[in-house]
Amino acid sequence: MRPVTLLRLLAAAAALALLSCAPAQRADVQTASSGKRWFGDLSPPAENVFTYANGAEPERIDPGLMSGQPDGRIARALFERLTSPDAKTLEPRPGQAYRWDLSPDGLTYTFHLRPGIVWSDGRPVTAHDFLWSWMRVLEPVTASRYATFLYPVANAEAYNKGELKDPAKVGLAAPDDSTFVVRLGQPTSYFLTLTYFYTCLPVPRQVIEKHGARWTRIENIAGNGPFRLSYWRQNDRFEMVRNPTYWDVANVKLDRVVAYSVDDLNTCTNLYKAGVTDWNPSGYLPAQYIPYMRDYADYRTGRYQATYFYSINVTRPPLDNVWVRRALNLAVDRETISRDLLKGSRDPWGNLSPSGYPGYQHPPGITYDPEKARECLAKAGYPGGKGFPKISILFNTSEDHRRIAEAIQAMWRRDLGIDIELSNQEWGSYLQATTSLQYDIARRSWIGDYLDPNTFLEMWRTGDGNNRTGWSSPQYDALLRRAAAELDPTKRFALLAEAEALVLDQGIVIPIYHYSTVELLKPYVKGLYQTALDVHPLQHVWIDREWQTRPGPVAADPRAATDQAGPGSDGTR
Amino acid sequence: MTTFLIRRLLLIIPTLWVIGTLTFFMMRFAPGGPFLAERDIPAAAKEQLERQYGLDRPLHEQYLKFLANSVRLDFGPSYKYPARQVTEIIFEALPVSLELGAWALLLAVLIGVPIGVIAAVRQNTGADFAAMAAALAGVSVPNFVLGPILVLGLSLSLFVFPPALWSGPQSRVLPVLTLSTAYIAYIARLTRGGMLEVLRQDYIRTARAKGLSEFTVVAKHALKLGILPVVSYRGPAAARVVMGSIVVESIFAVPGLGQHLVRGAFNRDYTLVLGVVLFYALFLMLLNLLVDISYTRLDPRVELA
Repeated sequence: MRPVTLLRLLAAAAALALLSCAPAQRADVQTASSGKRWFGDLSPPAENVFTYANGAEPERIDPGLMSGQPDGRIARALFERLTSPDAKTLEPRPGQAYRWDLSPDGLTYTFHLRPGIVWSDGRPVTAHDFLWSWMRVLEPVTASRYATFLYPVANAEAYNKGELKDPAKVGLAAPDDSTFVVRLGQPTSYFLTLTYFYTCLPVPRQVIEKHGARWTRIENIAGNGPFRLSYWRQNDRFEMVRNPTYWDVANVKLDRVVAYSVDDLNTCTNLYKAGVTDWNPSGYLPAQYIPYMRDYADYRTGRYQATYFYSINVTRPPLDNVWVRRALNLAVDRETISRDLLKGSRDPWGNLSPSGYPGYQHPPGITYDPEKARECLAKAGYPGGKGFPKISILFNTSEDHRRIAEAIQAMWRRDLGIDIELSNQEWGSYLQATTSLQYDIARRSWIGDYLDPNTFLEMWRTGDGNNRTGWSSPQYDALLRRAAAELDPTKRFALLAEAEALVLDQGIVIPIYHYSTVELLKPYVKGLYQTALDVHPLQHVWIDREWQTRPGPVAADPRAATDQAGPGSDGTR
Repeated sequence: MTTFLIRRLLLIIPTLWVIGTLTFFMMRFAPGGPFLAERDIPAAAKEQLERQYGLDRPLHEQYLKFLANSVRLDFGPSYKYPARQVTEIIFEALPVSLELGAWALLLAVLIGVPIGVIAAVRQNTGADFAAMAAALAGVSVPNFVLGPILVLGLSLSLFVFPPALWSGPQSRVLPVLTLSTAYIAYIARLTRGGMLEVLRQDYIRTARAKGLSEFTVVAKHALKLGILPVVSYRGPAAARVVMGSIVVESIFAVPGLGQHLVRGAFNRDYTLVLGVVLFYALFLMLLNLLVDISYTRLDPRVELA
């Protein structure tokens, strides 16, 4: 190699470096019909294949035991529950059951199964399969993390906790092969939305009994859903093909679904931009991209059924003093955090439960009031912050959590004259500290499990495993009990609102912001909607190769619907 | 030679024992546990899980069980992925990491050695300065910076290579390039140093005096000894390639072993972490042994005893 050649090489390398710093505009396309700008590669796939980034490798694909969003997306493609949610509204549509009735007292659901439904191994799906699958979730020995979803069923909680030994006393029955009867302990208005959750999917008894924990392996698994598993490699991908034995196979338009197990957010977004994936589901777009992405037509956002807050350990002084807690709460400027730190990607939120429950009137949320905050602190015996002991804010290691904690630290110093320390821990240590009450103030977040404010309120009951504040109020517990027994929806919501007001007044949490969903979707993907539970039934998705010639693409519909991701609250990590 | 081999191989056993024991207790004393989640797991379910995995037993009992299992190369199922055995996970991911590492090392040697030789032969010329400046830059840029830059340039702007994933030859290019750059640079510097020393020796002068062409002198006589520092670097380099691949695997979503180590530690997946750590340790010790053996082949003055 002569020096000249070497220099040329170096020059080429420099040119490459310069090029890579230039904004990547080549692929951005404006569609003639809408004038909208789309992000990245826009060529539709040659076949009817839908590809998306599914996040971290699913821990399991056993619906009864799983506990994460990526796991749930795979399970919902492979299995189908009694009712099948509408692609847009999630209203229950006939699924494995072609019809169902609710008794007038609101206690008994009777599901009538579709004739001729089969597992992908050819065996018929019967009511006994549903009975067995749900009882399996409730068996204490199964150790299902989300067995609580079935607690509205009569005696289910006692059975799951080992207090009741006789399985026949649990309110589930299969009088014949095509009838499944669910008896509830008390009327539960949101019971059908609970069954959307993957824990309630049926599983193939014959396969599980034969293969044990290894039943989900590709050579063993059988499903009853629109797709069946055709390829899997850990940390790489799931491939699913249309299931020819699915009852509604005629309406499944995709031949194949490819779900990549990629958990780095930048990598997910790069794959989307390069056109490798067609959908970047909510939660996989790095926060710093949001201001830049907002103008693209691929960008879809909506309210997400989740809130970000600080919880306070009320067992430690000075935080055992309600006036201190109120002072801290009133001195948080949520508007500024949302506008300056989060660039408007999240809405400031002074309430505990999020928006999106039709008919529920939130109690007045907490707003920034430094004057009143100082008064509260003086009432607590620390006028001007004098003599206030050292306490700290705990958060799990993350740049975003740190920035918010620093902002709040500065606000409290400015408005209350108190100094707070920051302490970050990696995930496992942080969980250990919050569950064992080894903290003063901790970052928390919560994703609703079902469409009802109860999912944000029941955790603050005395001794609830998710309470993690040490707070206990007989008055609060009584309010929730009364709400649960209340049949009139308006009165029930009023009781829940009263309970929420009590939590806010006692200042055991400091609400900060309301989550949003942010997803990227290619214009040629049709039939995938933003939904209230972030459930996207893939059997309705199709690839539109003529999208450019059709009037109006699937446009972003900001704030049209709430959107959330099921529990597995790891999603807000 | 045989006694040397036997001794080195036997030494591996106590080393693995120390590493395994340290890892075992470090994992156990780290706060949290495999069944702790942001959302509470019912107490009964947690007890059941702990019983299933033997975590309810006294720690020394668990430790003895771990030792017994390690001897049989059976670490049991992963805590995080209960449908899979740890050994199964390792043997599925290992070929991917090995392939990535092998390409990266090969590329590093193929590019690094010629650059180093040229720099040495043309010492203190423009070529030397340029090569060494490039090498300095290559060593200094960490792979978590280089990776995204390569993705931006070659994938998102020019659409030449896929930005991530591990399917098809094209997907290999960016991760291998990212992983190898630092080694290209380092190997170039090592080669240059080794060659400079060798080129001043008498036997090189003899070779030149015999009237051999400059190419033969450099490529046949000098390179054989001049490359020794690179050979001895191969052991640590392999280790660093393995560690570096953790980052690269994550950036490019490569389904290799490195990702399991990092995620396993975060998830407190005790069995997976122990399995992967012991495996890495064994692998590195065997590599170092190979390096020592290959020394004797290149330099007859080195004797193994």
